[in-house]
Amino acid sequence: MLLLQNARIASENSPVLVEGDVLIVEGKIQHIGSNLAIPEGARVIDARGRVLMPAMFDAHVHFRAPGFENKETITTGSEAAINGGVTGVVMMPNTRPALDSATAIATVLENAKHRSRIPVYTSGCVTKNREGKELAEIEGMRELGVKMLTDDGDTTHDPAVLLRAMQYATEFGMFFASHCEVPELAGPRALNEGVMSYRLGIKGSPACAEEIIIDRDIRLARAAGAHIHIQHVSSKLGMETIRWWKSRGDVKVTAEVAPHHLLFTDEHIGDYDTNYKMNPPLRTQADCDALLEGLIEGVFDLIATDHAPHTPYEKAQDFISAPNGITGLDTALVSLYHHFVRPGKFGWDLVVKRYSAEPRRLMGLPVPTIEVGQEANCVLFDTEAETTFTREFMKSKSQNTPFIDQTLKGRVDMVILGTEVLLER
Amino acid sequence: MARKDLLDIASLHREEIEFLLDQSTSFKKLFTRSVKKIPALEGKSVLMLFYEASTRTHSSFEVAAKRLSAEVTNFNVDHSSITKGESVRETIETLQAMRTDYIVVRHGHSGLPGMIARQTTASVINAGDGAHEHPTQALLDAFTIQEKFPDPRGKKVLIIGDILHSRVARSTSTLLQKLGVEVAYLGPGSLVPKYVPESIRRFTDYEAAMAWAPDVVYLLRVQMERQDVQFFPSLREYHRVYGITNDRLAEIRQRGLYIMHPGPVNRGVELCDAVMDYERSLITNQVENGISVRMAVLDWLTPGGEFPRQEAYAAPQRASSPVTMP
Repeated sequence: MLLLQNARIASENSPVLVEGDVLIVEGKIQHIGSNLAIPEGARVIDARGRVLMPAMFDAHVHFRAPGFENKETITTGSEAAINGGVTGVVMMPNTRPALDSATAIATVLENAKHRSRIPVYTSGCVTKNREGKELAEIEGMRELGVKMLTDDGDTTHDPAVLLRAMQYATEFGMFFASHCEVPELAGPRALNEGVMSYRLGIKGSPACAEEIIIDRDIRLARAAGAHIHIQHVSSKLGMETIRWWKSRGDVKVTAEVAPHHLLFTDEHIGDYDTNYKMNPPLRTQADCDALLEGLIEGVFDLIATDHAPHTPYEKAQDFISAPNGITGLDTALVSLYHHFVRPGKFGWDLVVKRYSAEPRRLMGLPVPTIEVGQEANCVLFDTEAETTFTREFMKSKSQNTPFIDQTLKGRVDMVILGTEVLLER
Repeated sequence: MARKDLLDIASLHREEIEFLLDQSTSFKKLFTRSVKKIPALEGKSVLMLFYEASTRTHSSFEVAAKRLSAEVTNFNVDHSSITKGESVRETIETLQAMRTDYIVVRHGHSGLPGMIARQTTASVINAGDGAHEHPTQALLDAFTIQEKFPDPRGKKVLIIGDILHSRVARSTSTLLQKLGVEVAYLGPGSLVPKYVPESIRRFTDYEAAMAWAPDVVYLLRVQMERQDVQFFPSLREYHRVYGITNDRLAEIRQRGLYIMHPGPVNRGVELCDAVMDYERSLITNQVENGISVRMAVLDWLTPGGEFPRQEAYAAPQRASSPVTMP
């Protein structure tokens, strides 16, 4: 039994935080009110000034297992999630072997059951081994609960293959998530084509490489009557393309944006800092501004981190040799608070809607709220405390993040899931 | 004022550039003596680490180091453990253990010499990294121009060719601009990036570029080996549209323009044969000046001096400067 006193309660429906006591009994929210009586045996937590909100859900993470356990495991990845206030994730299938069959999916889910303290879901590949040629074993994966199909990390190159997959799998109630990139245009370099690519002497990846596939895949989904989810959009015109398609209303499109694409530009790469190397690449301030606009407006349904761990050894190479990707689970909520909520760019309601409720709706999962009768699935967040992202603080096996050793305002103090207090600081 | 490394032109101050050019003049005077060697770097060791093929730059550095009495070791990449899959980082650790004083490095990846420099006590000289920088080439180009134009301010240099893949274009244009020279680029639209600095004029038409009235025409080698896709239809077409043809040479001669080229030259592509005999071609001057400039650079750097040592191999963390708000 847990009584949180004087918490400021956030919800997706109101920018106003409502102060109150919250009593959690046997993993469920039993009472909300002011000056609740302290039941016998209850643990009392003074939550004055702190924000209590539904826990986050990240619909785009790479836990690297099987095959790359030196970068991350289901255990370390899910602990990083808890560390950042996240109580559910969707893994991407670019593991080795790729998650393209019921057997592979079953292994991951079985592992997750024993190795994670939070629910871990996984997407499945569109094509076998993500090669873009033959369709993966779609129905077998569906039987195990897979809802999202994606060749994430790569675009399904042949539009005819993707169209057929959409026509086929939509019948099973599945949807498609697209990593949008024309490889022939983008190249392997993960640096935006612009002033920085000239200065650093690296051939850049133009934003149109991403925008073409955003448009292509939405058109394919429209033709197939499928639901398409556009992953980690990085460019202004990409956002506007999605906005336009959504405004037409004749195709089901959802989209996500990652915190790093809202926060950083290619200028941050500076002297070849590989902690800023990711795909799609960081673009310009105008792109960041447009993405923020798209998030506030609702062009982006959800925030997802694209948590992409790599070992220090791999990231410590030169910029061209180092792999793409940064971790995000440990840092996302605090950085969103520090850079957006605290300065008033958007409210807690947007964070809850886009990083807790909508990702769960996308996956067809129940949406937690701080309401009587609901299962406790929440985060207590101190807005005045600070978090320093030291290597020791990070629970991810890898620490390839631009936030390393930075101190930001805000701290995840508690994460509660059902009867378990998963984290307490 | 001396530095540990020479990695780029962008971070050099004007005073440093002027100092190096003055020193190059002094070293060049040695060349007319019967004994060209001085003991400036006696007892020092220079390691040549060339991951890319090179004749001019490699031999120029080797001659420069030997004229300063340094010991030169050539690290033969083709016969090293690199071919067994050893990473650059592992190679650096090995080299660091050898306690060499200077590392002259060329690599196809932009930024790699900087990574080496952060991890070794040796002075690292960038002898060309990807399409990023080639600082000693820029210095020798500036030195060569300054021999013809002692006050180069206001002079105009037109750089023609594959700007996209050219470290020479980036370094030389940066250095010339620091000396007050105006720079323009000319080349196919596919090879002149849209995002070059605003201070550099961008031409795709030869006639328009010549109407800009350059004093020096600087031809870049067409680097077919770097072009993973086709950037222009054929070498023949390139020569006709962007090359110095016989007709164009006649006009250049009549206008008294200087011609430069970092070499090696693709005859019949960037230029017609006759350019090699053109009295205002500075191509061999560039080669000769490369030695004195590199002597000046080696003499200037201070191996093992105080320098900010990074914990990681990666680029410096900017932990103390949180990101700016969008």
